[in-house]
Amino acid sequence: MQAFIITFASVIVGGGLAGATVVGLVNSQTAPPENSPANVSNPVLEYGATK
Amino acid sequence: MLAVLLLGPALGRGYLLTYDMVWVPDLALRSDFLGLGTALPRAVPSDAVVAVLDEVVPGMLLQKLVLLGALVSGGVGAAALVGSSLAARLVAVSVYVWSPFVVERLWIGHWPLLLCWAALPWLVREGVRLREDPRIGTALPVWLLVGSLSANAGLMAAATLLAVGATRRSAPRLVALVLAANAPWLVAGLLHVGDARSSSAGAVFGLDAEGPLPAPVAALTSGGIWNAEVVPDSRTQLLLPLVLTLVLGALAVAGCRPMARRLGRRTTTALVALWAAGYAVAVVSWAAPGLLGWFAETLPAGGLLRDGSRWLALCAPLAAVAVAEGATRWVGRVPSRFALAAALVPLAFMPDAAWGVGGTLRAVDYPDEWAVARSELGDGRGDLLVLPFTSYRQPAWNHDHKVLDPLPRFLEPNYVVNDQLAVDGRIIAGEDPRVPDVLAALALPGPGERADALGALGIGAVVWDRSHPVPGYEASVAGTVVHRGDGVEVTLLEAPVDGRDTPIGWWAALLAAWAAYAGVAAVALVSVVRRVAPRMAVRPRDR
Repeated sequence: MQAFIITFASVIVGGGLAGATVVGLVNSQTAPPENSPANVSNPVLEYGATK
Repeated sequence: MLAVLLLGPALGRGYLLTYDMVWVPDLALRSDFLGLGTALPRAVPSDAVVAVLDEVVPGMLLQKLVLLGALVSGGVGAAALVGSSLAARLVAVSVYVWSPFVVERLWIGHWPLLLCWAALPWLVREGVRLREDPRIGTALPVWLLVGSLSANAGLMAAATLLAVGATRRSAPRLVALVLAANAPWLVAGLLHVGDARSSSAGAVFGLDAEGPLPAPVAALTSGGIWNAEVVPDSRTQLLLPLVLTLVLGALAVAGCRPMARRLGRRTTTALVALWAAGYAVAVVSWAAPGLLGWFAETLPAGGLLRDGSRWLALCAPLAAVAVAEGATRWVGRVPSRFALAAALVPLAFMPDAAWGVGGTLRAVDYPDEWAVARSELGDGRGDLLVLPFTSYRQPAWNHDHKVLDPLPRFLEPNYVVNDQLAVDGRIIAGEDPRVPDVLAALALPGPGERADALGALGIGAVVWDRSHPVPGYEASVAGTVVHRGDGVEVTLLEAPVDGRDTPIGWWAALLAAWAAYAGVAAVALVSVVRRVAPRMAVRPRDR
């Protein structure tokens, strides 16, 4: 029983750590850099409108 | 008089800056204006011509001469196509000048197109003359150059001249003349053929309804521009445009037979064919936008068709002549004072176009600081980038009216601008291959990295336009600030700047094209001097 609890806890903690690591890694690689312009790729003023 | 009434405050001190119309005090001639840039040569040869002419006439005065001259010569040209009846001439002038096409294209700033529209009646006259007298003559080179300052304009001017004037005997010379007058944009376009495919989303620029008036009906009176922001209010109601369509339509139908008798079969057929071609392109751009989008995306230069209502200029000569001839028939049946009133019909149906669309089209002065920034930047070092990297501005000093960013043209170096357009909340991709690279460079994390990446793209100076604040937009670059003012900040990049390698073949091809163009211009200039000089020499003796 004790072995089962230890194994279960290890899986939970290990999974949590692994998940946090993956999420952190993905975030660090995909989040915009601090100094990056927020909207350089989008024109901010419409040329016109059809309606 | 109609031209002054239409332009109103636009003729005041300063520059009319509206959408695509950008004039500056002294437009510096730069290699990109000749067609050597990385973007499609949309403003070839108009920018280069203005840059040369404003060495003689200041930019402010030149703009007024061009706008006023276009409207006056367009009206006079239309009058010259009809008979000697005063009523017919007045009707032709008012139908030709006081039209939705003119008002909307003026508002959106397509001045090369307006010059083409102004030249078309004169090219019709020259075409008629050429069938009798195959000599090139004095006026033809002038009107051909005036009418060919952009790709669309050049195609319409060429079509009009050849449709009316080409014969088996004269065709080769006329084609050669037309090719020479259009050589700069033709050759520059061929050199950019790899990038000359446009986004299919550009189908949004097709003919559009005006208020409750369906697009094909709006096009009958030369309306239907895609941008609802530049449509006068009177065109967005049902009654006025509908009645105008019926009145002009009835007069045009009544005028068809006398017009055909007076102009002859060949000229009438040519004008009808031009009308049908212009109307067809416009209506197809409305009925099958996907087809024109496919054209633009698949065929090089297919994007020339996407702004369908531009081609309605081809309809204008026939419409003015037919309506004027119809009015002349009607004149014989009513007292003359009523006949002259017929000339006021177009004005009555679009009264809000008067005085620069009710004061909207106003001349403005540039901020004083811009001249200082220009002087401190000089020729710069490499190309220029203006931030925020967006194509249009709405500065307070321009009465909050939209305009293509005038700052790059105000300064001297070659520049790269964002040719993406936003319409109805959708982004329409541009064609300049450097734009995605510039966007990627600006998205780098640090000022030094951005400067290095921009330098590798040939950009050596960055100008911040502070009059166009964008919250959260921060794309500072490492470099030396040579000017810092309230509205403009100029930075020379510290990073090494790679020069753009232009193939020698491009230089050679464009040199040949501009030589041909200059040849036509020289013929035009000599012709004008030969005609004017004897008159000036005679005057003192007369006195």
